[in-house]
Amino acid sequence: MATVVAACLTSHAPNMTATPAAAPEQRQRFLAGLAEMRRRLIAARPDLVMMFVNDHVQNFFYDNLPAYCVGVGDKHWAPRGAAGFLKIPERQLPGASAWGKALLADGLEAGFDLAVSHDLEFWDDVSVPAHFLMPEGMLPILPVLTNCVAPPLPTPRRSWALGGFIRRFIDARPGGERVALIATGGISHWIGVPNTGHINPDWDHWVLDTISEGRGEELAGLTWDQIERDGGNGGQEIRNWIAVLAAVPGVKGEVLAYEPVKEWLTGCGAVWLHV
Amino acid sequence: MSDYHLNRVLYERAREHKMTESIGPDELTDYELTAEERAALASGDLEALFRLGANPYLIRRVFRRRYAL
Repeated sequence: MATVVAACLTSHAPNMTATPAAAPEQRQRFLAGLAEMRRRLIAARPDLVMMFVNDHVQNFFYDNLPAYCVGVGDKHWAPRGAAGFLKIPERQLPGASAWGKALLADGLEAGFDLAVSHDLEFWDDVSVPAHFLMPEGMLPILPVLTNCVAPPLPTPRRSWALGGFIRRFIDARPGGERVALIATGGISHWIGVPNTGHINPDWDHWVLDTISEGRGEELAGLTWDQIERDGGNGGQEIRNWIAVLAAVPGVKGEVLAYEPVKEWLTGCGAVWLHV
Repeated sequence: MSDYHLNRVLYERAREHKMTESIGPDELTDYELTAEERAALASGDLEALFRLGANPYLIRRVFRRRYAL
């Protein structure tokens, strides 16, 4: 049986790498949190990383927009065209094709009709966290994408259910692989909307406290309206976190870093989950 | 008319990582757009684009130079 050996949550933002001279003290503190997350990830010796992330309207457009999608490619671009802007060299990260295809098939049996892509190009969603957490690029990555950016969005409750199913899927895999779960996105941020750049640390702290106390399921009760009001349109990415929390229900989180970074336009959290 | 074509204008530029401050009529001959949408693109009116249904992530990506940060 495969096992979940690590689970963690981190914000992503393009300016974490695109503007490296910005907010030096906050940057140093947040990246120290990611360095600790990386240390723990390596110590957990995963064979495979499932990444719960969201597209930013680069792979999926309004002509074909899945609520959830599994990336089954042998490789994923992270980044490709955005490399110059992100200041991260173009690279391809190894995929986990067989696992992805098994997840699709088991999902259909379990009532989760996930979309599939064989060719994904990631921007800051995967590229920035992977740059800090897995710079060597050796670990196979199985991306699970949730539509967090083009409403109507799947409900947080549905993301909780998906995370629970994915845990059952992992537990039933026969190979004995050691699996790490990483969610990226959030916490509060307002992007491209009239109040772009706003951050709500009060909501961020509520999210972090809820996770720290092992009450992550409460986040699944949030509505789109509540998240949009308190966390902004960028806060809708909390769905990625909710899916991972559902895969390790009840565990307590440890906040490795929290910085509301104006220059990154994001309330940035990094959380280790004690699985 | 839906906002689909307005978003298509932005999506195609975002895919090519083109940043701009305005998108004038010469660049929009192939798109079905309302006069209001064309005016918002030509002037780079970010709030109008949002109100007209442009995806905020696409607004941000294409018109990034218009933001202080």
